[in-house]
Amino acid sequence: MRCFIERVVTNHDVTTDIKVLIPDAGLRRRMSRVIKSAVTTAIETVGGVEGIASLDGIITATGWGCLADSERFLRNVIVDKEQLLNPTPFIQSTFNTVGGQIALLGHNHCYNVTYVNRSHSFEDALLDAMMRAEDGDSEHMLLGAFDEETPSQRRIMERMGLFRKVACGEGAMFAIVGAKRNERSIAEVSTLAFPAENLSHEKVVAEYATDERTHVIYNNYAKYGLYPTSSAQCFAEAVKLVAEGTPEVVIYNEYFGATPTVIVVRCLS
Amino acid sequence: MEQLIQELKEHLIEELNLEEITPEDIDAEAPLFGEGLGLDSIDALEIILILEKYYGVKLANSAEAKPVFYSVKTLAEYISANRK
Repeated sequence: MRCFIERVVTNHDVTTDIKVLIPDAGLRRRMSRVIKSAVTTAIETVGGVEGIASLDGIITATGWGCLADSERFLRNVIVDKEQLLNPTPFIQSTFNTVGGQIALLGHNHCYNVTYVNRSHSFEDALLDAMMRAEDGDSEHMLLGAFDEETPSQRRIMERMGLFRKVACGEGAMFAIVGAKRNERSIAEVSTLAFPAENLSHEKVVAEYATDERTHVIYNNYAKYGLYPTSSAQCFAEAVKLVAEGTPEVVIYNEYFGATPTVIVVRCLS
Repeated sequence: MEQLIQELKEHLIEELNLEEITPEDIDAEAPLFGEGLGLDSIDALEIILILEKYYGVKLANSAEAKPVFYSVKTLAEYISANRK
């Protein structure tokens, strides 16, 4: 089982003005920070809103979802004693808001699923894309992941002692995934694995690297921070490295020392 | 009335996230929905909350919503007549 990557874009790569990417001010003003970040990354990935129509699959992943809107909604429930609840944060706090907004912007009614499986979210979304590619259900998909950190969430997790060794992070990443290799393909995903136990760097190399020049991204929290879909940023880095000439990149990711995953991105053979 | 209109404009900007719009940009007599500020049905729900939350005013029946929600001025007049 494999799939081909045509383009990857992270929130850090987006330089186009949001007003150009999302001209509708009415839509824009209701979007929270994470929705703006994810949707603009998605639109940049497909080359503008008009690129959404040709997709036959929109698969998104998030571990925490639209946290700021969820917090705002819950705060309103408490402060206003379950009365006078604003509709916008309620509507926008759902996990599939980003996938939905992308589809609405492009008037696209294709397969649209959001995976919310903690630190496996991105890998499960990738697995779905690979299975759809394998079965011929989709040929030209948008795959993405996003998470945001908020001051209150960070404070709670810090009090739990979760960020003593690594910093919390946030980010968005989207990729165009094709079922078949074409002239736009820049890399292929050859392996996606969910090991039953944590693996050392040496074991990752021994079990998954097939080339002596293989580059290994092993728990790269220092660069991206730790959050449920931080492996998606590593995925973008891997695809860019392969596009620039690295034959193979193995991404190994744990989340707070558990739930290990492995993704192998290779050059086109 | 002028002070209430100014206050209402500020609440609308804040609660509806009206980007890059200042109270001076809002014509108190211009339509709020469709043209003018171009608000929609979700904004109507938010305005109902503004009326209740800040002025304790509840819309008695939905039939009167259309003329009341026409502009900032009609909203202010309704608040003046019904606030507790």
